[in-house]
Amino acid sequence: MAISIQIDRVSREYGPVKALDDVTLDIRAGEFFTLLGSSGCGKSSLLKLIGGFDRQTSGRVAFDGKDVGNLPANRRPVNTVFQSLALFPHMSVAQNVGYGLRLRGLSGSTLETRISGALDLVELSGFGQRDVNLLSGGQRQRVALARALVMEPGILLLDEPLTGLDERLRQQMRDEFGRLHKRTGATFILVTHNQDEALSLSDRMAVMHRGRIEQVDAPARFFEAPANAFVARFVGIDTLLRPERIVATGNHAEATIAGQTLPVRVEGPADLAASVVAIRPDRLFLAPQGMPPALTLMVVGTTFRGLHRDLKLAFSDGQTLVIAIEADADIGQLSAGQQVSVGLKPDAAVLISSAGLPPA
Amino acid sequence: MMIHEGLANRILLWAITIAGLIVIYAPPLYLLAVSFNPALQPGLPRLSDLSLTWYAALPKERALVGALQQSLIIATVTAVMATGMSLLAALAYFELRAQRTAWFLTVILPMFVPGVIQGLALSAVFTRSGIKASSLTVIAGHLLWAMPFAFIVILTSFAAVRRSYLVAAADLGATRWRQFVDITLPLIRPGLVSAFIFSFLLSLNEFTRAFYLAGRQNTLPVVLFGKMNSGASPVIYAMSGAIFLASVACVALIAIRSIWPGAGKRSPR
Repeated sequence: MAISIQIDRVSREYGPVKALDDVTLDIRAGEFFTLLGSSGCGKSSLLKLIGGFDRQTSGRVAFDGKDVGNLPANRRPVNTVFQSLALFPHMSVAQNVGYGLRLRGLSGSTLETRISGALDLVELSGFGQRDVNLLSGGQRQRVALARALVMEPGILLLDEPLTGLDERLRQQMRDEFGRLHKRTGATFILVTHNQDEALSLSDRMAVMHRGRIEQVDAPARFFEAPANAFVARFVGIDTLLRPERIVATGNHAEATIAGQTLPVRVEGPADLAASVVAIRPDRLFLAPQGMPPALTLMVVGTTFRGLHRDLKLAFSDGQTLVIAIEADADIGQLSAGQQVSVGLKPDAAVLISSAGLPPA
Repeated sequence: MMIHEGLANRILLWAITIAGLIVIYAPPLYLLAVSFNPALQPGLPRLSDLSLTWYAALPKERALVGALQQSLIIATVTAVMATGMSLLAALAYFELRAQRTAWFLTVILPMFVPGVIQGLALSAVFTRSGIKASSLTVIAGHLLWAMPFAFIVILTSFAAVRRSYLVAAADLGATRWRQFVDITLPLIRPGLVSAFIFSFLLSLNEFTRAFYLAGRQNTLPVVLFGKMNSGASPVIYAMSGAIFLASVACVALIAIRSIWPGAGKRSPR
């Protein structure tokens, strides 16, 4: 049975360092939830509290509404795939997978059926007698996964499980997580610094920074309405412009940047001091001749990015923005200093809070 | 690629190896040969003279047999206790963080106290507190001697125990006790075995502390030393030879087991 998790005003302090700073979060039963952030942001600390490997300094952690503060790790309905995997080196694959069940008192054919079922689930049928030390990285990963899943936990914690795997294996295991989440129906909580994993797997995700949660939302919302400048930067919206004037009507506004006015959707405060205009690089295009341009900007340079090219353009006050254009798009000769016309697709520009942006 | 050394180098290497082996093994082998010499004067026997006279006389040497028994009992008790206590000390070290080094030094300190001083000190303390010298006092002395070594050996084997294994076991439902039994113990087993053997041998060999602390029954090294000084009967060579042969047999047994690891261990799948 999937279990929901309530995290209520939780802090974890190590001396003067606040690993978690007043975090409140609700994770729904059966959800695939991701904690995303760079290293040191507190995501692993939060996972440890859920797993019961650590205790919060203050606040409350509850499963299905029941406080689990006094429940040690070995009595929580939670199982973990550790970053280091932590497979028991003196046990075979089957012994590793069956360890938790043996502790529950299972033995004989019941135990063996459950073990082989779990190995089937991670596509390691017939590997039971192998030595875990002689498996490949991906196989070890699957053993760790089977060892956790065989317990049929209400909550499965995945602590950066794909770090250290090569790219192909990473994608393969990522898909595996998605498949297993659907099969088992448990609440999955993934901790990662990899945006790609987070976006493709999560029902919802939280971006963390310095022990705080910056935004909790469905993945797409992070691009439509980033909570602030930090989140926008984190998900790859690098163009954040400081407006010189904002005229707001409802949730639409006109922002003026270096003398040029463009329409923006308001998702934060419409206040000159506390707002920035975030522009999605995929919603800009080079306006063809004859079309009234939204912006007229000066070329700074282009960067080849594989499947696309980044075109960097500057406003007259020195602020820059980046447009993603197709690698083979015929844009003619663009030389630095040349003026180009840029068009905006709907929702290209969003007015958001400037929190997390260093003061100009 | 293999590099072929010159012939001269090869000869030199072999000569050094053989010289080393001779230095190590010639004295006990000489002793062994002497033990088969029926003559009263120690010396190499002629092949035709080889005899088991002194071995046959061995069981009648009450003093030597008693000393051997005493030594074996003391060594066994010392080895069991040193291994057990060192395991506890090592577990404490594993859990400690800041005070680790202090704890480590505290446990291994007795290793650096010379046996003469420690034996004398213990003897004085025991006499003063009215404890009679017996096999127990020898065991106490030997425990102080063997435990630091056993501790270091066990500590080395703790390198195989990663904290993440214990966390993973807890995650799967293991209590602290089960984590110890299922994870820690199997991983450090080689260290426990080595610590046991090591402390057994340290105790069996020990002379100085036993000399001060033994009660009415002396240990084998003390008795052998005494016999040497008081015009030895060749029986002591037979005793030495027998111990040497037993050691060789033990090593051979271990060698055989490591060559055929399947023998007697896990049943085939």
